[in-house]
Amino acid sequence: MKKLLIIVLALSVFTTSCKKYLDVNNSPNNPLAVPPSTILPTATIAMAFANSNDLNRVTSAISQHIAGVANQTAAYDVYLLDGSFDNQWNSEIYVGAINNLQILINQYGTTSPAYSGIAKLEMAYTFSMATDLWGDVPYSQAGQGLKFEQPRFDKVADIYQGNASLGITSLFDLVKSGLADLDKPSLLKPGKDDLIYKGDLTKWKRMGNSLLLKFAIHISNVAPDLAKTIFTQVTTGNNYINSNTLDFEVPFGVSTGNQNPIYSFNYVNRNGDQQMSARLLTLSRSLNDTVRLSKFFTKPNGIFTGYDNGSTAVPLTISARSQYNTYLVGVSGEAPIRLLTNFQSYFNIAEGSLLFGLGTPAAQAAYQAGITASMLKVGMLQSEIDNYFATNPSVVTLSGTMEDMRKQIITQKYIAWIGNGIEAFNDFRRTGYPVLALALNAQGDDPNTIPTRLVYTPGELSRNPNAPSPRPKTNVKLWWAK
Amino acid sequence: MRKLFALTIFVMLSASQLMAQSRTLTGKVTDAKDGTPLASASVLSQDGKYGTKTDANGAFTISIPASVKALVISTVGFTNQTLNIGSSSSYSILLKREDVALTEVVVTSLGITKEKRAINYSTQTLKSAEIADRGEVNVVNALQGKIAGVSITGASGSAGASTNINIRGITSFTGNNQPLFVIDGVPISNDVDRTNGGPLGTLGDNQPANRAMDIDINNIETINVMKGPAASVLYGSRAASGAIIITTKKGGKAGGGAQVILNSAYSAQTVTGLPELQNKYGQGVNGTFNPISTSSWGPAFGSTPSVANGLLIGGVAQAYNPYPNNIRDFYQTGTILDNSLTINGGDAKQNYTFSLSNLNQTGILPNTGVNRTSVKFGANTVLRDKIRLGGSMTVTNTLQDGILGGNGNSSLGILSGIARNIDLTSYRVNGTYKNPDGSNNWLIPNQDNPYFDAYEDPLKSNLYRFIGNINVGYDITSWLTVAYRLGADIYTDRRKQIFAVTSARVPGGQVVENTISRSEINGDLTLTAKKDHFLFDKLNFSALLGQNLNQRLFQNVYLQGDNLAFPGFYNISNATVLTNGSGEATTKQRLIGYYAQASFNYDNYLFVELTGRADRSSTLPEINNTYFYPSVTTGFVFTDAFKINSNILSYGKLRASYAKVGRDAGPYLLANTYASWGFGNNVANFNFPLGTTAGFGVSSRIAPVTLSPEFTSSIEFGINLGFFKNRVTVDAAYYDADSKDQIINVAIPSSTGYSTKTTNVGEMTNKGVELLLNVAIIKNRNFSWDVSANYTKNVNKVVSIAPGVDNFGIPGSAFIGSIPSIKVGYPYGVIIGGVIPKSPVNGQRLINPATGVFQPSVAGQVLSDPNADYKIGLTNNFKYKNYSLGFTFDFTKGGQILSFTAATYKSRGIWAPTAEDRDKPRILPGEILDATGKYIPNNIQIPAQTYWQTLGGLQSEFNVYDATVFRMRELSFGYDISQELVRKLKIGGLRFSIFARNLFYVAPNAFFDPEVNTQGAGNIRGLELQSAPNARTIGANLKLTF
Repeated sequence: MKKLLIIVLALSVFTTSCKKYLDVNNSPNNPLAVPPSTILPTATIAMAFANSNDLNRVTSAISQHIAGVANQTAAYDVYLLDGSFDNQWNSEIYVGAINNLQILINQYGTTSPAYSGIAKLEMAYTFSMATDLWGDVPYSQAGQGLKFEQPRFDKVADIYQGNASLGITSLFDLVKSGLADLDKPSLLKPGKDDLIYKGDLTKWKRMGNSLLLKFAIHISNVAPDLAKTIFTQVTTGNNYINSNTLDFEVPFGVSTGNQNPIYSFNYVNRNGDQQMSARLLTLSRSLNDTVRLSKFFTKPNGIFTGYDNGSTAVPLTISARSQYNTYLVGVSGEAPIRLLTNFQSYFNIAEGSLLFGLGTPAAQAAYQAGITASMLKVGMLQSEIDNYFATNPSVVTLSGTMEDMRKQIITQKYIAWIGNGIEAFNDFRRTGYPVLALALNAQGDDPNTIPTRLVYTPGELSRNPNAPSPRPKTNVKLWWAK
Repeated sequence: MRKLFALTIFVMLSASQLMAQSRTLTGKVTDAKDGTPLASASVLSQDGKYGTKTDANGAFTISIPASVKALVISTVGFTNQTLNIGSSSSYSILLKREDVALTEVVVTSLGITKEKRAINYSTQTLKSAEIADRGEVNVVNALQGKIAGVSITGASGSAGASTNINIRGITSFTGNNQPLFVIDGVPISNDVDRTNGGPLGTLGDNQPANRAMDIDINNIETINVMKGPAASVLYGSRAASGAIIITTKKGGKAGGGAQVILNSAYSAQTVTGLPELQNKYGQGVNGTFNPISTSSWGPAFGSTPSVANGLLIGGVAQAYNPYPNNIRDFYQTGTILDNSLTINGGDAKQNYTFSLSNLNQTGILPNTGVNRTSVKFGANTVLRDKIRLGGSMTVTNTLQDGILGGNGNSSLGILSGIARNIDLTSYRVNGTYKNPDGSNNWLIPNQDNPYFDAYEDPLKSNLYRFIGNINVGYDITSWLTVAYRLGADIYTDRRKQIFAVTSARVPGGQVVENTISRSEINGDLTLTAKKDHFLFDKLNFSALLGQNLNQRLFQNVYLQGDNLAFPGFYNISNATVLTNGSGEATTKQRLIGYYAQASFNYDNYLFVELTGRADRSSTLPEINNTYFYPSVTTGFVFTDAFKINSNILSYGKLRASYAKVGRDAGPYLLANTYASWGFGNNVANFNFPLGTTAGFGVSSRIAPVTLSPEFTSSIEFGINLGFFKNRVTVDAAYYDADSKDQIINVAIPSSTGYSTKTTNVGEMTNKGVELLLNVAIIKNRNFSWDVSANYTKNVNKVVSIAPGVDNFGIPGSAFIGSIPSIKVGYPYGVIIGGVIPKSPVNGQRLINPATGVFQPSVAGQVLSDPNADYKIGLTNNFKYKNYSLGFTFDFTKGGQILSFTAATYKSRGIWAPTAEDRDKPRILPGEILDATGKYIPNNIQIPAQTYWQTLGGLQSEFNVYDATVFRMRELSFGYDISQELVRKLKIGGLRFSIFARNLFYVAPNAFFDPEVNTQGAGNIRGLELQSAPNARTIGANLKLTF
């Protein structure tokens, strides 16, 4: 019996030390907090990765920069979009970019507004990408964790213009708030963790203004007054991206796992899936613009080879296909992902000048500056550019009706944006330029209409009761579209 | 040889009879219970040489020599009795009825042994003879077809591939649904540790083992399967999915001496279940030969070479012949050599056991195999008649060599579409699968030669494992015992995965060093009290009080080196990038449990047992970390209670139980954390750091505000019946289990910024029926025939997930477009993907009027359901003299499998039916919407190639197959040499047997063997992603005892 007592006693002593015994639930694997300098690169790459990965492939196919030869891109090429884009919506946009940007804003908005300012600018860019592709998307309630477990889908018009009664800050105001943050004193300041401008906040201000300019032109069909106001503010402020060296572009690396997604897809993992669109080749040839085209696409054995969009023809062997060239993929995947550029600002100013009555000469100047900026950007020699201008006066000179001139501007912009299908897709839907024919063997929601939006992702549709149901078809135009 | 034996025995028998000096005995055999005379009872001299039978009155007369000192009297349904012959010449013998199987002692939770009649819940026991000597490597496979209520599916026939086992369905949304494995009272790991199979992730891996494979089947004495929560409540949350209680062989049965058992088995394995191939058309598309095509839509063999059909290039006719076995010959004949030595010695008090075993398997896939060596030592002793001390330890080394499978650039992925004119075998025979510089040699760009992939991209695993236990018990008084058992299961698995430079999956080359360690320490302190005639007469009482301490550690160190500087040197020092996925994950979790059990037994016919357990877990918030759960079980033997004494109904017991089991959370779920970030998948990906810039982000899982344990409650009703003196026994159970407040990382809209949140949500039910029928059809001295049949039906339903969440993917799924999912209103694990829309009138699939192929499928719909309707197992055992024959069939009705292999066989034009009338156009079945708005039958002709490519969509509904399958699971035929010869040779016994596994199968609705599952053990079922097919095993076993 004594022994029993000892056992019971031992047991009770043990029980008191239980709490210590059980206190082992702190993860040695993951930190509970990290400095902002490690979060900013993540959000920045997320934004660029989203822009240049699957969303780029689908929009490049629909915009007919490229044609799908096999697998997923071939499906996109004939408008089979249903069931796709979960990874992009989820891990690239909302979880990868928006949430980490939100954390920078929430945690450093007061102490280190340099970080929150940059975060707001990147956030505005990322949200615009989402709403431009899908239309109504979670915006004002997005990225708030458990505060809004089923974020509302805000209307495109409300996202761009704001809606006070619904508590929606416009994208314009988000950018302006970011620009204001950049002027505030900041405890911590980004340095090399700012992959784009290495901590130079003055360059971020230019990026912010160029973004406002892009937004203004983007809504010019439906909100001309607001567009004009913003356009005027930016152009008179004269603090936007006005040089190729100021381009808002995200660098990538040469080593495996650091390469840009265009390279990673086309040169490492799926080099048989897509090829230059035969239709783009036709367009470039009609504009005598093949020198520039050769910077975007390879010329195997000295010959451009395109594949028709939606074609089921037997493709050439991979080595004979025109694929993305070093301007877009680098030598080993290190080409930057270009998000907001000098040529884009010029083309926007050219179009704005026409739209808001600044006159053709202003538009013409900006138009030519845009073409030159693009040609320089892709690596054409000044002599090649001069030669092009000299031999193609009808291309580089705006003429005809305002609509004719707009077509010229957007067509040049379309070529300049090869490699960034999202921008080409945006302008095509907004202006109808360049005029694109339906892909062969088109299928999808509406086999007779080039998609005007992407379909919502299965993940969001099954988890968020606020997602529009049934989902809008791909032929339902967005608010700002033509 | 056998004839010679028989002849020798005959001569010996005759000689001894002639020489003996005999005397005559008479006797009468009666039933000890009621004195009825027993006719046809066997009366046999102890040495088996002389015998007779009783007459109708139970009387017998026998003449025996004086040297015979004892007779053995036996008859069916009664316990054998040995009669020591004294001076009398007349005897009356009373035989006691035996309760076949019902007096069996069963090892239950914590090693507690109970009489089967006192168990009020469903358990089923298999003995060594029912699982050993059958050519199986993995103990889980050895249970197939034999246990009611259990669903077992192997990953494939690849050496060491894991096998999934679920008892009474799946109860946890995202947790581990495999039962707890317990060896000699020690919980052990049956985890499947996965090493990333390149960019495809775990579904492209080498099909690693479930760790129960480290157990040597030859050393198992019994396996008891504890099915419901009521059975396993003493093990607590770990056994929420049931428990497999394994008892290994022990010494002490040799009566003081030593018994030595030598066992040797050799078996050969061949591939089964390959679809039939066409051999009319070769490589190319649209009828044109193309040597770099992945399809066989080229010209017919024997076509006249022309420029048009691609067979004439530069005026040279291309070699173009079928190689009918190019796929089959990729698989080789596997072998398994299994040797073991066991020495058991001592008596009931002091005993020891030692065993040494080695199993060496060469797989059916090239460059694969398993080599398992284990050494065990165990001993027990009793000190001063009061202290029992015992323990055992087993050290195992398991080597597993695997090759990658999965869709895409794995050898198996490529193999499933090899064009019919490729002479694949020559690459192996000539060693030309790689070029002289070591690079991949294959005509098709961006694809590996399957042999290159198999030989140059291996994954090798080298595991050392220690399993040990120490028991000490002390009888404080005659009715009170205290005992402690300490157990440990510790292993380290060092793995190396290589991708050679120029491999299609990782062209830059890769070396992965992956070290996985697990350790589990488990201690149980128990106090047992027993009192007969407790409170009043006929009431026996026993009680148990216990405390359990458990600690589990896991560590996974993963070092991935990319971009090898030069080929052929596979050391991490040759890598130039070390940052992709390299890292370490460590988890530690602890649990303290207290439990109590009170068992009441009234007059051996009414049994009531109350059990309660309270756990404190390290993984839950402090306010909720203590949780209690009870069980109540009762059993009522009505045949005894009402003194039913019928020749037909010999035994009847009703039983009912209610149990609730709590389960804690996984470690580290309570806080939000950050992690180094990466993006993308197998088509494009990015991982931080970028150069020297680190990138962290907040975890995609958001931590809960609070968390409480999850509970599964279950009600079970059962009946045990015995007929005809228990020659026919029935064990039936119905259960209804409800799992609530599951701790899961539930999917939330990603627009919140997070993909999942940890919370208590959801409800899932499992209802089912189990039947077990055992019949001793014939049972006499020379011949017996036993049949055991079982039936399993489980209906699972996901009742709810979380508000607003209709479905989400089971973690680990890799393919968008066919996602194994949890969906409200459906059984667990349905695969969600795209389904072709149907016409509103006739429900026919809609055809695109412009193209003649189906309209695009609509995403987010249920594509297939892997859950079987029911399963039946049937085992027959015959015994004739020294011969024994046993075989097991099983049948699975229903359940569906989505097969990527089936898709590839169609879309690439290699399946036999794709060659039928290939030159004629075809029409897909369906309807088109005509100009007038009417749905009319499709009449648009399309080429055969388009037709089959449409039906061969990788994730399409056309590649969902009914997995109904009937299989001859195993067959065993054995011969034991006679006792005579045993004595003569001075050995303990010699048994020779031949066996076969998976001898044949019939799958009426699939053109391949549907009993495969690429993930193996895990929650993803019904997906075949171009992994290995199954294997057939045939072999022989020799067992020598002395």
